[in-house]
Amino acid sequence: MEQHILAYFVPKGICIDIHEEHTFGEYILEFPNLSSAQVMELSTRLRLNRGKYLANLKTERIVEIIDKTIQLWLNPQYPLRKLAETLLPMITAYDAEIVRLELKRFLRGFRKKDLYRFLDEEFDNPGMLDNFRPRKSGGFTRVYGPELILHFFSGNVPGLPIWSMIMGLLLKSAGIGKTSSAEPLMAVLFAQSLAEVDENLAECLAVLPWKGGSAQFEDLLLERADAVVIYGSSQTVEKIKNKVRQPIPVLGYGHKISFAAVGQEALTADRYQDTVHRLANDVSVYDQQSCLSPQLVFVERGGVISPRQFAQLLASELDRYEKRRPRAKLGDAEIHAIRSLRNRYEAMAISNSEIDVYASGGGTEWTVVYHGRPGFEGSPLNRTIQVFACQCLEEALSHLRPYRSYLQSAGIAVAPERLEALAHCLAQEGVSRITAIGQMTLGVAGWHHDARFNLADLVRFVDIERSAEQLAELYDPDVE
Amino acid sequence: MQDKVVLVTGASRGIGRAIAKHFASRQAIVIVDFLRNSQLAEEVVEDIQSLGGQGFALQGDVTQEEAVRRMVEEIVDSFGTVDVLVNNALCHYTFNPKLRKTAWELEWKDYQTQIDGSLRGTFNTCKAVMPLMKRQNFGRVINLVTNLIDFPIVPYHDYTTGKAAVLGYSRSLAKELGPFNITVNCVAPGLTYPTDSSRDTQEDVRESIIRLTPLGRLARPEDIAGAVAFLASEEASFITGQTLYVDGGLTMR
Repeated sequence: MEQHILAYFVPKGICIDIHEEHTFGEYILEFPNLSSAQVMELSTRLRLNRGKYLANLKTERIVEIIDKTIQLWLNPQYPLRKLAETLLPMITAYDAEIVRLELKRFLRGFRKKDLYRFLDEEFDNPGMLDNFRPRKSGGFTRVYGPELILHFFSGNVPGLPIWSMIMGLLLKSAGIGKTSSAEPLMAVLFAQSLAEVDENLAECLAVLPWKGGSAQFEDLLLERADAVVIYGSSQTVEKIKNKVRQPIPVLGYGHKISFAAVGQEALTADRYQDTVHRLANDVSVYDQQSCLSPQLVFVERGGVISPRQFAQLLASELDRYEKRRPRAKLGDAEIHAIRSLRNRYEAMAISNSEIDVYASGGGTEWTVVYHGRPGFEGSPLNRTIQVFACQCLEEALSHLRPYRSYLQSAGIAVAPERLEALAHCLAQEGVSRITAIGQMTLGVAGWHHDARFNLADLVRFVDIERSAEQLAELYDPDVE
Repeated sequence: MQDKVVLVTGASRGIGRAIAKHFASRQAIVIVDFLRNSQLAEEVVEDIQSLGGQGFALQGDVTQEEAVRRMVEEIVDSFGTVDVLVNNALCHYTFNPKLRKTAWELEWKDYQTQIDGSLRGTFNTCKAVMPLMKRQNFGRVINLVTNLIDFPIVPYHDYTTGKAAVLGYSRSLAKELGPFNITVNCVAPGLTYPTDSSRDTQEDVRESIIRLTPLGRLARPEDIAGAVAFLASEEASFITGQTLYVDGGLTMR
């Protein structure tokens, strides 16, 4: 039986025509036909709804509502979760098992305790979101979130838009989210769940698909927004940033490169299999489409397996992973990128014994390129990784510098006494997140996304200075 | 396997489905036995036909002697005999380590259900095909058991006991049927994923088994099918009373 699913979410009373339908099995996704007038009316309505309701909610209540919504999603029988688990693999072509596991892992990071962690991490006193609160230096401070945030979501990782939506709600901001055609569903389903828990809150949100840069109303919305959050390619981020005329907060999360570094301590006889297994997992989850996923790995000599053997074991592990959870089917351009990388290094390997290519036979399912000395190169993604051997990990650092502005996560496996020193060196080269291999693709509550705040960068801090407080005392009619 | 008549019980899904398809790809005539879901069984038959093979769905509850007798009669009417019997059917069991019954919660009826599903089902089909196989002085019986008999990594007491009974039954049968040139062997899969039964085995349990497994992954239904096909093949004609473990080296004996 056919089932129609709306690929957008708007407050009640806004009528939208269906313009386009996309069929996935028995499901038909309905895409709206949006006019500038409608979208403008929508933005006005959202701002009004926020003023009437969300702006007056206490933070604790907002946390409760989000937590309740997340709890719905943590029930395997929740109809929208089941729908997402069925539809997302069809829409994104990711393996269904990866989607099922990663989606619930991701959502678990937004339960009440995690939301408080976000708030406490970024504000000395989260009560400032509700009232003026005393400062240690005298006077009071209150924090004001943007009235309306315009979010540009990316489609590389299913569910990621929820992060941005939740951050907006914690700041009592209304939100318009533009979905990506690669994954237009999850943000809509989440908004529907919020509506199940608190209709009034959901009335402050809209989730809409449109072709980025093409719609007239995109510019109008950028003029009306109080803050803009952009996920996407570096070009997308830059393009949108350049369109913002007024001085409002604009957070852009563009293209990033992450990598792994494996010390010889992680390559002892008892640990090496686990180390390889962990790294293969980081490479395979969502086929490296997440910016948190490693594109290359530095492997130190001196373990019971050489870096070359590490590359071979990684190849076998990726092959097993492919049998368990096949990679998504690729378009021609992506296939070509992998093939040309393989061809380039296969040709070099003929005359250079320090290079080896290990690759899935036939297709492009996985590729490991081994280099006998350190270097740095981004990956065409989709389970393609380069292994760079080095005498010591510190030796690899000099190769990071040219990529400084793109570096993000480093998954590292080293002994405790090396951790801090190595982290310091990596930080100086531009890395902003040091994490365990095996956990690279999972961002945690309160992390500094691309080295910045998630919430604090969006708000205005308003102070009542001590002088105003003292002067007010003078005007107390009952003062001595 | 050209034109050999192969009966696979419980063949509408999971491991049975993969076994049926594997035999079909080797030009055998495959009887897809199923209990309830005729739609799934027909899908298997369609898959078999699309592989260029011959497949036929036949409903039959293997725990019922009479039903098995009728099913085998029907096969004989249409195809003359049964050359290979694969006992794969089991009564519904969910491999969920969190919700499994502990030793002190189990009742005798839990064991009885599993013994009926595994041993009785196997007994009924073996008994029904024995006269055919003896007459043609050829037969291959392959019974699906489990590596949990040797390595109860999760103690599914009732299920494992039922399968252990099949193992004992198979060895005695091998002794008695050997002189008729009928071999009886077992295949002991490790946790096989994905199947309907194993879908509820949590990710961390699967992961811990993978970490202990030399070949570094879980079995797939096709892996089991390959081992079953080997025991049915000419290459395995001097092997009987054995158990082939298909669990990536998790159990070694």
